This record gives sequence, C-alpha cells and structure tokens, in this order.
Amino acid sequence: MKNVLHNLKDGEHLALSPFNAIYGYQDIMIKHLGIVGAGTMGGGIAYAAAKARIEVALYDINDTILRQALERIKADLRHGVTRGKVTNEEMTAVMTRIHPKTDLSNLHPCEFVIEAAIEDLRIKKDLFKHLETHTKPSAIIVTNTSSLSVTAIASALRKPERAAGMHFFNPAHIMKLVEVVRGRNTSDETLTTVCNLAGQLGKTPVVVKDTPGFIVNRVARPFYGEALRLLGEHAATHEQIDRIVKSNGGFAMGPFELMDLIGLDINFSVTQSMYDQFFGEPRYRPHPIQKQMVDSGTLGRKTGKGFYSYDDQKK
Amino acid sequence: MPKGTHKVKEKTKQKASVYITGESPMVEEYAGMCREKGYEVFTHLVSGPGGRLTRPTKKSPSIPRGIHLALELTNADIESKKNNIRRLDEALPPTCAILSSSVTVSASEQAAWIKGKHRLVGFAAMPSFSRQPLAEVAPTMHSPIETIEVIRKFFGSLGKECEYVQDRVGMVLPRILCQIINEACFALQDEVASPEDVDTAMKLGVNYPQGPVEWADKIGFQQVYAMLTAMQNDLQEDRYRVAPLLKQMALTGEWWKHGSSPGEGQP
Repeated sequence: MKNVLHNLKDGEHLALSPFNAIYGYQDIMIKHLGIVGAGTMGGGIAYAAAKARIEVALYDINDTILRQALERIKADLRHGVTRGKVTNEEMTAVMTRIHPKTDLSNLHPCEFVIEAAIEDLRIKKDLFKHLETHTKPSAIIVTNTSSLSVTAIASALRKPERAAGMHFFNPAHIMKLVEVVRGRNTSDETLTTVCNLAGQLGKTPVVVKDTPGFIVNRVARPFYGEALRLLGEHAATHEQIDRIVKSNGGFAMGPFELMDLIGLDINFSVTQSMYDQFFGEPRYRPHPIQKQMVDSGTLGRKTGKGFYSYDDQKK
Repeated sequence: MPKGTHKVKEKTKQKASVYITGESPMVEEYAGMCREKGYEVFTHLVSGPGGRLTRPTKKSPSIPRGIHLALELTNADIESKKNNIRRLDEALPPTCAILSSSVTVSASEQAAWIKGKHRLVGFAAMPSFSRQPLAEVAPTMHSPIETIEVIRKFFGSLGKECEYVQDRVGMVLPRILCQIINEACFALQDEVASPEDVDTAMKLGVNYPQGPVEWADKIGFQQVYAMLTAMQNDLQEDRYRVAPLLKQMALTGEWWKHGSSPGEGQP
C-alpha cells in the first residue's frame, strides 16, 4: 500500500480515500478553488493546489502582489526543472491552473474559498461578508488565520455553518500539516469537506476546536517561553540551551535559533496575542527580553542580528 | 567467581564499581549503560515498576565496600531521596563522589542534607534521558574542581560530554519538555483535539521529534508531575500550575474523562 501511495502523483492518492466509497470520487473533488490574498501563505496554498491539479482563482486587491506570487511559484518550479524534479510540461500545467484575479466577483465558480488575507479581524470579516455574496450558497469559506477566532470571523456570514478554519504552515506547498478548525457554528458536513480538501492537497488534516493558538502555536509556546525564562534567570546561556535542546531533545533547531529564524517580532506578537486571548494566563506571558529585543530592532536573521549574529552568512 | 589465580591475573585493570540507587526505570537504564562500559554495578531500587511509589519494606541493604562512584536517581519521592543521599554519605569514603539527579531538588539543597558537601554534584536524570549525548551537570557552590573532574571522566566513559549549567530546579531540558507536556495536557483537558492529533500536529507542524503525549508516556506521568510540582514550589508561580488531567494521569494512570474521546463535541 505504501509503495502504491508513493508512486502516485500529487492529488491522485485521493482516489484511495475511504470517503470515495461513501460519496463517490467526483462529488468529493474540489475542482475550482478560490484563494483570497496572494501573500506568502496565499501563494503557497495556490501552489499546493495547482500541483494537486485544482484550478485556482488567486485573488488579491493588489496586482503587483499577485504578479510577485506567480513569479515566486514559477521560480520554484524552474528550480525544480533544473534539478530534474519537474518537467517543463508539468511546470506549464501548474502555472496555467493558477488564474490571477483582482475582482472578488470572479470567484463565483469556486466551490471552496480559502481566505489568506492579513491577520486583521475587521478585514477578514469584511472579506467573508463579500465572499458570501459572490459565491454559491453551497460553497465552503475557510480562513487561514493563525491567531484570530474562526468563530468571530465566521460570524460575518449569514450562514456561519459553512465556514471553518484551515491553518496551513509555512511553506504551505511543503508542510504536511493543516489544522482544520471547527468554529462554534461549523457544521459536520463543512468539516468533512475541509478535511477532504486537505487530503486532496496531500496534507494531513488535524481537527481542532476553535481556541487561541489551536494546537501547534499553543503547545509550542513553552518551547520559547521556558527557554527565555532560563536565559533571563541566567540558568544557562542561549548557546547552551540550544545545544541541550538539540542534542538531548532531538529537536532540529534550538529555541533561540528558531526565534531568530521566525523573527523576534513575529514570535513576540504570537505570544502576546495568546496571552491576551487567554485573559492574562501566566503560562503565555511574554518575556521582557523579547520585548526589549523587538524595541531595539534586533529581530533575528532578517535584521542580521538576533540572539546570534548573521553578519557574514549564517551563525 | 573463578578460583584459578591465573584468571585473576588476566585482569590487568580492576573494574571500577558504581552504586546506583533511585527510581525505576532510571536505575535500570543507567545500570545497563554502566555495565556495557565495563563497570561493576550494584543497584538499589526505591520504586516499583512504572515508577509507582513503593516505600522499601525491608531495611535498605548495606552498601558494598570499594564503591568508586554513587548515582542517586530519585525525582518523585524526596523523602526517599534524602534517606538515600544520607545513607550514601555515611557509608562511602569521602573520596567517593555522589552524582545525584537534581531535577526536582537543587544539588545545593541536597548537599545541605549531608556532611560531605564537596562530593555531591547534580545532573538531569529522567526516564529515557540516559542515552542522550550531553550530560546536563549542575555543580554546587561546594563542588571542588576534583569532584567535577571525576564526574566529567565518568560521563566521558559513557560517551557523554558535560554541559555545565546553573544549579536550578528543573534544569534545562526537563523544564522545557515538561512544560510542553503540561501545555498539551491543558489543551487535551480543554478538548481542543485528540491525544493522537496533538502528537501528529506537533510532529508535522513544527517538526518535533516526538509528540508531547508520546513523550509523557516515555518519561512517565509521575515523573513529569513530580518535576512540575517541584518547579511550582521552587518559583511559586502560576505558570507551573499542573494541568489537572496530568495530575490525574500521574496519580491514577487513567484519563480524567473516562469513556469520552477528547476532541469531540462542543461546550
């Protein structure tokens, strides 16, 4: 069975899904997917979908951002071609499946829309309201939010039962996990369809309840939080903590290396947001070290300096 | 024992002897590793299988003569640990170092229990940790360079390098790992997802080598609970409050909500 799965092209393994026995192959396939927002996440999801042979309507209000997203995908595919992993035909096929759109009403043929706009509740609710008017009543509308309440975003719809969360991980065309978020009003049918799409994209869906941080961002908090506490208490240096966590814990990266990679500002704002959403629960309290580094513009790799220096190349 | 004298002569070097006492399965793990490396090993367990606390019914057996190094591996039962450390201090010559787990009590506090304060050095011992390449070692304010050198050579003989950290309850990896497990237990209690899905999410979403639930099973919920309780007592902060589900698992070995599968239903 394993070998069979390996030999299949992206998307084809869905034919083996146990759901086919119940619903039939055609009913379950999403053929037209809408993606709202062509940033890092939206572009990555579009790429994953196009590789899984889904026609993608990629929307962004900004034409430049749309073109940049397409360029990124094309560059990655070209890289694949030079390495012999992708054929020229495949590259063309993937690119022709992505249709850039700058008008939301162009998303009306989509059975499924993924919203991947910026993390702003008002903007997302506004988009949801517009999407409801521009799509078929049967269409599923999901948000790729990582830090906002899916229930709150879905409340913009007259029918919130057709909304859910679909939290992809960066880079979305590579990372296998999707947190499928059940909002307070999400229906079982919606949840099934969302899980099926995750499968169609070759991802592993994990169903989570709509709570701050879902699973990954929440359970990962102590990895950074306790490391910062240890550093703040001078129990060990950041190099020592990274060494111990990697060598003994088997983690691929230490907490300080990872904070440098993610960006101190991003990591701090996720922690702050969890702390606020749990009404000051002490487990999520950010550390003054983070705040001070953010204030000083020491944000990690992207600024050349975080816990480590990245002046020459890497650490 | 072979009686022929020629056999004794073949042994050019005398085997070093290690006395290992404490909780299961750490004692067995370290005993196995020390035997592999050619040490003569004597063990004494203070807890039964699975780490369930069982006070020794008989009087503790006497410590054999000629021990070169003693390991004390108790994290959960601090009274037993105190008895063990005192027993070792009384029985062993002052030149014999005591390497003691300092995950739930700082090494300095342990040194205060005994006369030979110079001989005790702390390190991070938890079940399943014994094969790790680094030894997290916590010398105390009383540890002379000679004691630290003995410990370094011992860990070196087991193929481990020493990472010297400050003598703080929880140390480094146990503190980070147990808080991850604690957070996972809070999430399970809130029925955010199923235990299997929590593990899958952490492995696929952030490339954790193991899921927190798997980890807790490997380390043992009693050990995780003992460690977090010690952290809470040490720092007196709500941050280290133990998830009731984790406590329940530690004390009874059962899921809190029997018969319900986490991750289903809404409040």
